[in-house]
Amino acid sequence: MRTKRADTVAAYLFLLPFLALLTIFFLYATARAVYFSFTDYDLFRPPNWVGLRNYVALFNDALFLSALRNSILFAVVVTAVQTFLALVMAAVLNQKVRGIGFFRAAFYMPSITSSVVITLIFLWMFQRRGLINYLNESLQRAAPILLAFVALAITVQVAQVVWERRRALPATWTDPALLVISLLVAGGATWLLVTTGVLAARDVPQVDFIWLQTRDTIPAGAPFWLAVPIPLAAIMIQNVFTTIPTFMLMYLAALQDVPRSHYEAASIDGANATQQFFRITIPSVAPVTFLVLTLSMIGTLQMFDQVAIFGDAAPLRSVVTLAYFVYNRMFPGAQTPEVGFAAAGAMFLAVLTLVVVLLQRRLVRSEGY
Amino acid sequence: MRAAATALDAREQRALEHWQARRRWARAGLVYTLMLAFAIVFVGPLLFAALSSLKTDPLEYPPTLAIPQLQPSNWSAAARLGLAGAGDRWFGGFAPGAVVPFEISYFVADGVEVSEPEVIVPRRRPGAGLGAVLTIEYAADFASVSPLERRPDVPMVITTADEERSGRKVSYTFTIRYEGDGPTIDRLPLDVTTAVGMQYLDSTLTASRLERRGRTASFNDVAPGVLGYVLRNYVRTFNEVRSPATRQSLFLAWIGNSFTFAFVRIVVTLVIASMAGYALARLRFQGRELIFMLVLFAQMVPLQVLFISNYLVLRDGILTIGGFTLSSLWGYPGGMLNSLTGLVFVTALNAGAVFIMKQFFESIPREVEEAAMIDGASHWRRYWNVVLPMARPALGALTILTFQGAWNDFFWPFIVLTSPESIKTLPIGLLSFRNTYGAVGDWGLILAGAVMSAIPVIILFVVFQRYFLEGVSFGGGKE
Repeated sequence: MRTKRADTVAAYLFLLPFLALLTIFFLYATARAVYFSFTDYDLFRPPNWVGLRNYVALFNDALFLSALRNSILFAVVVTAVQTFLALVMAAVLNQKVRGIGFFRAAFYMPSITSSVVITLIFLWMFQRRGLINYLNESLQRAAPILLAFVALAITVQVAQVVWERRRALPATWTDPALLVISLLVAGGATWLLVTTGVLAARDVPQVDFIWLQTRDTIPAGAPFWLAVPIPLAAIMIQNVFTTIPTFMLMYLAALQDVPRSHYEAASIDGANATQQFFRITIPSVAPVTFLVLTLSMIGTLQMFDQVAIFGDAAPLRSVVTLAYFVYNRMFPGAQTPEVGFAAAGAMFLAVLTLVVVLLQRRLVRSEGY
Repeated sequence: MRAAATALDAREQRALEHWQARRRWARAGLVYTLMLAFAIVFVGPLLFAALSSLKTDPLEYPPTLAIPQLQPSNWSAAARLGLAGAGDRWFGGFAPGAVVPFEISYFVADGVEVSEPEVIVPRRRPGAGLGAVLTIEYAADFASVSPLERRPDVPMVITTADEERSGRKVSYTFTIRYEGDGPTIDRLPLDVTTAVGMQYLDSTLTASRLERRGRTASFNDVAPGVLGYVLRNYVRTFNEVRSPATRQSLFLAWIGNSFTFAFVRIVVTLVIASMAGYALARLRFQGRELIFMLVLFAQMVPLQVLFISNYLVLRDGILTIGGFTLSSLWGYPGGMLNSLTGLVFVTALNAGAVFIMKQFFESIPREVEEAAMIDGASHWRRYWNVVLPMARPALGALTILTFQGAWNDFFWPFIVLTSPESIKTLPIGLLSFRNTYGAVGDWGLILAGAVMSAIPVIILFVVFQRYFLEGVSFGGGKE
């Protein structure tokens, strides 16, 4: 009994600094945020209780509605796209080859640099006369050549597979050995066509797509709740780019544990690569998918940095998120701070985050992962 | 008959095996190609930005990788000119007594009249923004350009896709002198303007840009030195961005702040997290479950919920009791906004680190403590002398991850450090770069700053890759 009490005293001494911080910067902070959300506090005058007025006002506030729409669209689109792409890339790369360490490090590069560095670089690339528009233009220019290359490659591949099958060899449509030959042949043929002048790059008008200073949306003229503002789409592209590698590596780690024999058995049963992907790969990494989806949703719902860094480079309404809304109401420049209003917005963000976490917990429990 | 059949089977078998082996090779080849493609996609933008940060104008269109700053001929010219300008082959300059020789050549088509170019040293303000309010010395006030000397013409033909133009190459040499006495000046800009019809070919140093429809070849600095030429934007981030009040280099101050903040935060995190983690992992006490629940919960609540109160806590100096403000203890009687100390306080709560340390301590077998326990060592001794030395790998990983987190941290520095400029950390400083230089399209400075601020973390990553990649499977996504 004595040791137990001694243990308790020692434990709280060990925990003292952490608990002090936890109390001031977490418990007290959360309680105060909840309290403020029911008041009209403005940083200067003492707060007055106003009941649910702030929460009602949120839904009449154009900026909040934009923020809510942007946050939800951002979270859903980015999560879906990056999870899918990360899984596909991991499946493609899931091979036992030498030197994968080097590539892993290279893929991880965008994830370790700060949000400011990446966002500044993307801001630069999204300029009207920037790299993104240039790549877009070059791609359009080279479209006939690229199309010819793809068409040639497919033709050669089909011809080869048909021929191999007539020789009774079990070639699949994506047989790697034949694919290498097809790509080389198609590459050579395209090069010949270009040098002889049969094929030429198209003349296309200069691409002057405005990514940042615009209020337009994708799709243009879509109803409010489905319209992705173009500057927000730019942030989506950036976010997908920076987060894919992290998730891809998580998937790769999981895929390395899936026994090779599963794929070999399926392959003997005549399952092609696509069937193998849906029947074996996706089910066996389901636990990781849950983790990735949750992390991605939480991360994207709280997106703040990119909006702050974009600053006046894009219209506020087009990029504002719930997290930035809270900041914006707290420090609204020349206006009076609306702390109560900001706190109500923050509560909304917190509840949304908790719902995602609880949903994941519940799913994980019921699926037995 | 049967023997023949088996032989045939064996041959077929071998052929099939051969065929399968070929497929494996081909697959490996395709996988490498794909990995290379992915690597280009993910590293490409960073690399392209790093290369473009050397350009005079990173917004040039179409974007190209033919960067004059990467041509060795320009390096040696820059070194020679730097020596001539201020006796400094690395950073150049324009000092009293300097004689800077220069040559420029034009293509003049047949039938076009040659007229002598006009050479001036312009009074050009270096950049916009934060450096613009400083008083500086202009090379224009001290430089004099010698009369131009026309070299013998050389006949030449210019061939373009649709035509062939014959003419000659006309070259001029001149010198720029620093006469009399005066200060050493950072840069020596130059504008050379010709008549219509004379086409700029090249010069001792490649022109920074062509203005007025190609008539004016403009040089940012014709006595740059190698580093002053190749890393011009980098030198500018240090030299041009200065505090108007103290003339202190802001970028240098930001780097210092970032390192200080990262260092203090590492120490604070290691101490607090290892102590709390030890208690949660090894001691049985009332309220343990509750505290662990809070550790998990604290990681899920969005920063923006907590920041409202925490901002006020800093503003009010944590706690005021009867006229005494708690932050006075650290020397901040008027609140802790705009101070690194305040920033450390508000970011010191790191539930994730506590979680990591708890998990690690639980993986150490209890037996290692038992000998100490029998000796009657206190909890503190067991923690300090037995468990902590074993926790070096975890502490190392935590150090690296904390450094990365602190170095890259945006939200709290953005809230806490608003003025003066010299109190900011690198990410927030870069944001004020964007606000001041982005507006005028001066992306060279911004990219140079961004590249430099990425370097420490990249070095850390290359050296301690393992910790980062384990962090992925450990804690999940990025902080």
